[in-house]
Amino acid sequence: MSRQPFPDLARIDAFDKVQGKTKYSSDVPFPDLLHAMTVPATIGKGMVTSIDVEHALAVPGVVRVLTPHDTPPPPPGPQGSPPPPPMLVHAIAYRGQPVALVVAETLEAAIEGAEAVRVSYALEPFAVRFEDADAGREDTESPTFGDADAAFATATTRIEAIYTTTANHHNPMELLSTTAVWAGGRLTIYEGTQGSNGLKNTVAQLLQIDRSMVDVISPQIGGGFGQRGEVPRHTAVVAQAARLLRRPVKLVMPRNQIFHNSRFRPHVQHAIKLGADANGKMISAHYDCLQQNSRRGRYRSDWYHAGPCKVYGIENYRGTSGDLRLDTHGPAQMRAPYEHPSAFAFESAVDELAFALGRDPVEFRLAHDTKIDASTGKRLTSRHLNECLTRGAEQFGWTGRPVQPGTLKAADGTMAGWGVGAGVYQAAMHPAIATLRVSANGVTRYASAGHEMGQGMRTAIAQVLIAGLRIDPARLTILIGDTTVAPQHSTAGSWGTASSVPVAVAAAEKMTAALAELLDGRKVAGNMHEQLARLRRPFIEIEVSMVAPGQGPEHLERLKTGGMAIAGLHGTYPDFTALSYIAHFVEVHVEPHTRRIRVPRVVSVADCGRVISPRTARSQVQGGVVWALGAALREISETDPRYGGWLNADIAEYHVSVNADIGKIDVSFIDEPDFDANSAGVKGIGEIAMVGAAAALANGVFHATGRRLRTLPIRVEHLI
Amino acid sequence: MRTIGYERPETLDAAIAAYSGSGSGSRYIAGGTTLYDLMKLGVETPTHLIDITAIANLDRIETEGDVTRFGTMALMSDVAETPAIRTEYPVLSESLLKAASQQLRNMATVGGNLLQRTRCPYFRAGNGVYPCNKRQPGSGCAALGGLDRSQAVLGASGSCNAVSPGDWPVALLALDARVEIIGIDGQRTLPLDGLYRLPAERPEADHNLNPGDIIIGITVPKTAAGRASTYHKIRDRESFAFALASAAVAMEIEGAVVRDVRIALGGVATLPWRARQAESVIVGRTLTRELAVEAGRAAFQDARPGRHNRFKIDLGVQVVADALMIAAGRNVR
Ligand SMILES: Cc1cc2nc3c(=O)[nH]c(=O)nc-3n(C[C@H](O)[C@H](O)[C@H](O)COP(=O)(O)OP(=O)(O)OC[C@H]3O[C@@H](n4cnc5c(N)ncnc54)[C@H](O)[C@@H]3O)c2cc1C
Ligand code: SF4
Repeated sequence: MSRQPFPDLARIDAFDKVQGKTKYSSDVPFPDLLHAMTVPATIGKGMVTSIDVEHALAVPGVVRVLTPHDTPPPPPGPQGSPPPPPMLVHAIAYRGQPVALVVAETLEAAIEGAEAVRVSYALEPFAVRFEDADAGREDTESPTFGDADAAFATATTRIEAIYTTTANHHNPMELLSTTAVWAGGRLTIYEGTQGSNGLKNTVAQLLQIDRSMVDVISPQIGGGFGQRGEVPRHTAVVAQAARLLRRPVKLVMPRNQIFHNSRFRPHVQHAIKLGADANGKMISAHYDCLQQNSRRGRYRSDWYHAGPCKVYGIENYRGTSGDLRLDTHGPAQMRAPYEHPSAFAFESAVDELAFALGRDPVEFRLAHDTKIDASTGKRLTSRHLNECLTRGAEQFGWTGRPVQPGTLKAADGTMAGWGVGAGVYQAAMHPAIATLRVSANGVTRYASAGHEMGQGMRTAIAQVLIAGLRIDPARLTILIGDTTVAPQHSTAGSWGTASSVPVAVAAAEKMTAALAELLDGRKVAGNMHEQLARLRRPFIEIEVSMVAPGQGPEHLERLKTGGMAIAGLHGTYPDFTALSYIAHFVEVHVEPHTRRIRVPRVVSVADCGRVISPRTARSQVQGGVVWALGAALREISETDPRYGGWLNADIAEYHVSVNADIGKIDVSFIDEPDFDANSAGVKGIGEIAMVGAAAALANGVFHATGRRLRTLPIRVEHLI
Repeated sequence: MRTIGYERPETLDAAIAAYSGSGSGSRYIAGGTTLYDLMKLGVETPTHLIDITAIANLDRIETEGDVTRFGTMALMSDVAETPAIRTEYPVLSESLLKAASQQLRNMATVGGNLLQRTRCPYFRAGNGVYPCNKRQPGSGCAALGGLDRSQAVLGASGSCNAVSPGDWPVALLALDARVEIIGIDGQRTLPLDGLYRLPAERPEADHNLNPGDIIIGITVPKTAAGRASTYHKIRDRESFAFALASAAVAMEIEGAVVRDVRIALGGVATLPWRARQAESVIVGRTLTRELAVEAGRAAFQDARPGRHNRFKIDLGVQVVADALMIAAGRNVR
């Protein structure tokens, strides 16, 4: 690949999107379609004792009400694999759990039918808040190396603090939806999912049919970020309804129910101790994280350590972590799932230590550059964190920043503060198999693993295909997120571009070679389509496959059966650690009397390896910063311990940032390839974008006001 | 599907007749931005909708003379952008521009706005599963002793502490607006503060309208204070959020002395709240920031916080003080 920066190509679906032409999964029309609506449990915990469906069935248009009697219990999966989500069951584990599914000829009838279902319960006590947990903490073994206790004892400067990140919910524009169609003995599911392969496997398992009978198509997702990473509970129920009724069935879940059934970011308490020696070097870190989990939840508590144990090369690290089990649905991935909360806590602590040492927080971080992943002893590939910090500081105008807080005051009394925060995120990759067909009629068709969730995967693939092939870009079709065209793998963890682009580059190279072989030295004019036409060849089709560093054919096999086949989890490869890096600089203004907080400007510099699609990469970082600052200033999912469930379960009361909250966000990239990670030199941008920005904000608030706020969100009541 | 009656009368008489004919399940509908929302939440379950948008001349904005009159159907966006309103009553224009979103303001009417209902989460959420005296009289109040960060610190009772959410009514209250009403028994006018009810008794009733009453207009006298006025609103984000605390202030300064001042509070009370004690702190004196804070304290002297909303008092004091200083600045010309 050439080392010229890639051109600033518009999203290939930009015009469709602004014209409303883009088809999401719930837009796919079917003539015979039935509409479904879930009936949510209205108790915090207990058993369903009876479900009266009579009134619901009396609603004109209602054709069936599915209850736990209509869905088979989950069969045991293969040894060691996580249990699939149950379908409909009598045991209510949390408020809002679906109890029944009403299916009707119209959406209105389905809604009315769902409201007419009468459910009786036997109540059980429950707990939904950290402070009310009724069982002790469950510990998980966590990264520990060196001797943190001994080092802390010798440290000459120490800080110790507890930070809290509160529960947050996904609120993308697109609602969760499933459309299930049985035809010709096959089941096809249209759903905006990041894991069409996993969805295929799980639905087959739950319905007890062979996976080869199930197809999943995820054409577009109106916001992924992990919400679409796991199989939602309702999917197989909708498929079961379609099976029983022999008609296509569609469910679009209302937002209020999504709050109760889709993934959320758990409440986490982070206890941190840092120690520095007389030279001001961080020599010891203790980091304990305690998160909320559901009773059976599998969301791991130890992964919060992934960043903090690597970022500054601290040689003595003691990580501990645990779960408090509560009566909610399962917390799970939400953009930078572990890294956003842990970086808020850890980067705040680093700021506190730098301040205790009287050091500038940028200079202090620069002094902790490292070439080694302290947690494994492996070499760090392409670490450009210091370049991110230096370039960011320069663009921000950091020089001359007073160390003392409360000194940058405007004439009207507004307190200004400058904060910095940094972060790391894994550079991971999965194997892929792609097919590419270039036709004489001007059409190019490319199919591989990957899911388009608005991040711009199709645009990134198009970049390298257009650069590597002489084709008509207007007639290039990129098929991803479809189990019928290529083996699919979940798209998450910022491994999307790193997994889909190298194989696309290889496909373009193989196609070029195949055409050259066909030409056999002959000079034929025109682009590839025209050359094929002149040679009277209708098309050339090639297939390529690729595995990640350290992987072999067994990983391709795992891909073909829809399993997880990730390399580079937490950046760890057999011979090295590969990470993305970022530095955020935030200016905070605090009004003198009301203490309203505003953020006029942010500078973010990212090292995500090679930037394949500048426009979508930039928009990833802007979106990450917007989200991080929203989480830092306003997002919080509220639960009333007397009732369970989420109280502010809509987007009027769950405050995400609006345009008026967003100042200038200046984004730039180091754009250095990492060829250890993969042949395209890509490391990943979607998650790192958000990491450390919340801490930069909180550190800025400290610099503005002298108040160290250790709990998110930071709202007016905390400063007034 | 539930069937629902719908008609679109062309005169006020026909609208009232329609109401009398179809009974207590009837609702007038103007912009629909409150009513449809409440129908989706299951708070409102009307059987008959009487659409009043076809009645002629109800959307006039009359700015001639000593009194300005807004027809009930005037749109929030149109009133906010009327030049005479911007100059005569910045507080009115600002209260509208800081409310809802442009899309909503393009639909919503200034009359319907007066009757929007509380954002109390227990009232709105859960399709009626929470005890709520407003929603199900006598069922109790989940907000008392619950998540009350957004609840009222002024005017609450032992049966309801829900905040009156509107911004526009607060601004109108500061300007001594009156409401023109036509009902089954003819026409009458009410001062704005006569429209709203404290939740001491019958918290389910937000206002003193009789069944079938139609608001036809709102009148606001022109004053020097109105010209130097402001609506100051602090919320959880810069736009598209209800007030945590807001203040409408209109002030006339003569020489160095405050001759006339009106202060009304939003986001903190169970109805649009006139802060007369705060006004009396200032009238006849020279405004300083210290005096403004003193007035702010007076405005909240009777406030009673719950568990999570104590900050509204401290915030409210500062919002009043800031609003007073902004209004004072507008006297300089
Ligand atoms: C998401 C959202 C955010 C919002 N944010 C804000 C905000 O920040 N600040 C704020 O102040 N407001 C806010 N609002 C409320 C908004 O201002 C009101 O919904 C709107 O003003 C209501 O006007 P309407 O014409 O749409 O009323 P409608 O919905 O048509 O009617 C409202 C009620 O008044 C009755 N009614 C209407 N007209 C008359 C009449 N002439 N006579 C008698 N009864 C009548 C109806 O029967 C109904 O009960 C928000 C609303 C939404 C949906
Ligand atoms: S405060 Fe009022 S509206 Fe809210 S739950 Fe209590 S009674 Fe209902």
